[in-house]
Amino acid sequence: MSSRSTFIGAVEIGTSKIVALVGEYTGREIAIIGCGECSSRGVKKGSVVNFREAAECTQTALELAERDAKERIDHVYLAQTGGHLEGFYNEATLNVKAADNMIEKDDIRTVCELAKAKDLPLGRMVVHNIRRPFRVDGRLVPTSPENLVGQKLEVGYWTVHGQEQRLADNIHVIRGSNLEVSELVLSSLASGHMVTSMEERQNGVLAIDIGGGTTDYVLYRNGSPHTTGVVAVGGDHFTNDLSIGLRLTEPQAEKLKLRFGRAVVQAREKSEKVWLDGNFSIGDRQFPRHAIEQITHARAWELLEVVKRKLGQAFAPETCPGGVVLTGGAAKLPSLAVCAARIFGTPARLGEAPSWINENLRDPGFHTALGILYYGVGAQGDKSAAASGRGGFLRKMTRLFSST
Amino acid sequence: MSKDTYALPETRTWRDIPQQVKPRAMSREGRRRVAMGTIRAALGAVALGAVAWGAWEMTAVLRENPSAMAGGVKSDRVRSLVLVTDGVLDKNWLARTLAIPGDATLMGLDLIKLRSRVLGDAQVSSATVGRNFPDTLVVRISERSPVARLLAQSGGDSPRMLLVARDGVAFAGTGFDDAMVASLPWVDGVKLVRHGASIAPIDGMAAVSGLLASAKLEAENLYRTWQVVSLARLASDGEIEVHTRAGMRVVFGANENYLRQIARLDLLIDASSDPTRPLREVNLALGAQVPVSYGTAAPTLGEPAFVPGNTSPARPSVALPAFFSSFHIDTHREL
Repeated sequence: MSSRSTFIGAVEIGTSKIVALVGEYTGREIAIIGCGECSSRGVKKGSVVNFREAAECTQTALELAERDAKERIDHVYLAQTGGHLEGFYNEATLNVKAADNMIEKDDIRTVCELAKAKDLPLGRMVVHNIRRPFRVDGRLVPTSPENLVGQKLEVGYWTVHGQEQRLADNIHVIRGSNLEVSELVLSSLASGHMVTSMEERQNGVLAIDIGGGTTDYVLYRNGSPHTTGVVAVGGDHFTNDLSIGLRLTEPQAEKLKLRFGRAVVQAREKSEKVWLDGNFSIGDRQFPRHAIEQITHARAWELLEVVKRKLGQAFAPETCPGGVVLTGGAAKLPSLAVCAARIFGTPARLGEAPSWINENLRDPGFHTALGILYYGVGAQGDKSAAASGRGGFLRKMTRLFSST
Repeated sequence: MSKDTYALPETRTWRDIPQQVKPRAMSREGRRRVAMGTIRAALGAVALGAVAWGAWEMTAVLRENPSAMAGGVKSDRVRSLVLVTDGVLDKNWLARTLAIPGDATLMGLDLIKLRSRVLGDAQVSSATVGRNFPDTLVVRISERSPVARLLAQSGGDSPRMLLVARDGVAFAGTGFDDAMVASLPWVDGVKLVRHGASIAPIDGMAAVSGLLASAKLEAENLYRTWQVVSLARLASDGEIEVHTRAGMRVVFGANENYLRQIARLDLLIDASSDPTRPLREVNLALGAQVPVSYGTAAPTLGEPAFVPGNTSPARPSVALPAFFSSFHIDTHREL
């Protein structure tokens, strides 16, 4: 272990499970040295509803991760999701001050501050300010426009804001373990970054993270996040629908969903039935497969339709050649990619973690936590680069989440 | 448009949320972390305070009364001296040399001064002095070995015998076996120069030592007959003269192979075993050509016997050849 190693903690407080990861960052590379997972309690639709239960589960996951890593962490990067999160776009234009129309640092700072300056409703707080590329006289400038010549400098920010109490609850759950929250990271940004490539983000791609209680999505364009959003519907709603539709308890419905649920109806015969347990135990029952598939298909279709509707004009198949990438625990529902392709009119696939990720962490349910960890690496790299006065690969990586 | 002319709205971010939570809202592990953190901080503060206090105390002591430093440490009187040596010096010599007062404590000793006392005897080439708590002083020394001897006279004092080490350092020679000392050849043709309280090392002794060592190792029968080794022509001609007890003068080349020269000498002595024509002079410094001169009668040893005045009474009297004279130390020259 190097003396220069930094230990980074990443926590995702999800509706179905809480994941904690510990990474050892040596300044050049990151190794995931600890992983802790705990079934979630006290969390509904991404928001904490029972502080003590949520804190206990989070603590359990953190303890497991720390024990696995054999290291203690004192601060974490925390995933943020929930139906309370909303976003809006605001842009500002600035006439370049210099007589020779050369853009200076001061111009950039001013236009950025103007674009970010927007009053929020009472009780709302900014989570992320995601900058879109600059424009100089209408010309797109993906990097800094400093020293370029132009009369008009424009920039826009996609601002994600959330309800203060809900944000505070999440932070206090972590603080309950006496850990400091270094950064709140939007779940969609974290998971989206893990399952899409740089090229896809440059061309345009939509990443949808379907969790237990919420569905987060991020639309990338020109290499940076363009629009983000959260729908307070997730895998638990599939279970709930089955439970109501087939008159089952939730655990039974969950079991049926995992075994027979599909996003596209495949069963041809309505008379085909499946056993609930299939182990000849007393109380085992039969259910029509067609009904199960219809219920899950309807919910999947509706969910993706809602996402499409919320994206509105921001999404168009022709501006999204990268297609749709699905991730999250509920994205494992069979045929969901087919369903997404039909709705969005673009190719769709199930996202995969990069090949160098450990086999145990390649499950879509870990993509958000992994993304947060790599966000932490980027932040550390940015700190190092700032300390040394030089930029680097990690700094560029951080810019992908650019929240300046 | 600038920031100065427009009042931008203050946007609140999640960072404005206070991260402090009440202990009752913390989990058991969280409280444990807080406790551990508090303990760590307290220990750190105590350690820092201790270091600061120690530094302050030390500064005060050094400023006001440096001698009180020793009193701060619990120390016993020196009860034993331990000498670790590779030579012949013993504990009595050490006690005499160090001259430690009877009531001296171990921490009260000035080790640097003691070490310089030990090194004041030229027989000691290196020394370390250390404390072995609670009451033992340990002295580790490395001694010089003599390769020759000489007589030195300073002012009006009687001549005294000194031993010479390989590095040219002359020393009184304490504790050596008398027979061994008597077997050493005398050194001639050198001028002793005082260097402070001691005598400056003799130049060229390394070359002489090489010759003597080779002779002693390879031809001890010859070495035993060597009485005087002269360095008079070493610096000018690169020659070492050896005078034997039989009165023969042998010249060795300092730049030639000693072993070969000794072998030639041995051969010559064997070849000229005629007692009526003893060898008087052999010059081995000219390479393969060895000029030899013969005498007609056996030489007589110098008389009378010489007894060094300041040497140990147990040391036997020393018989010197007629040409031998004791050295006078030049007190005017300083190196």
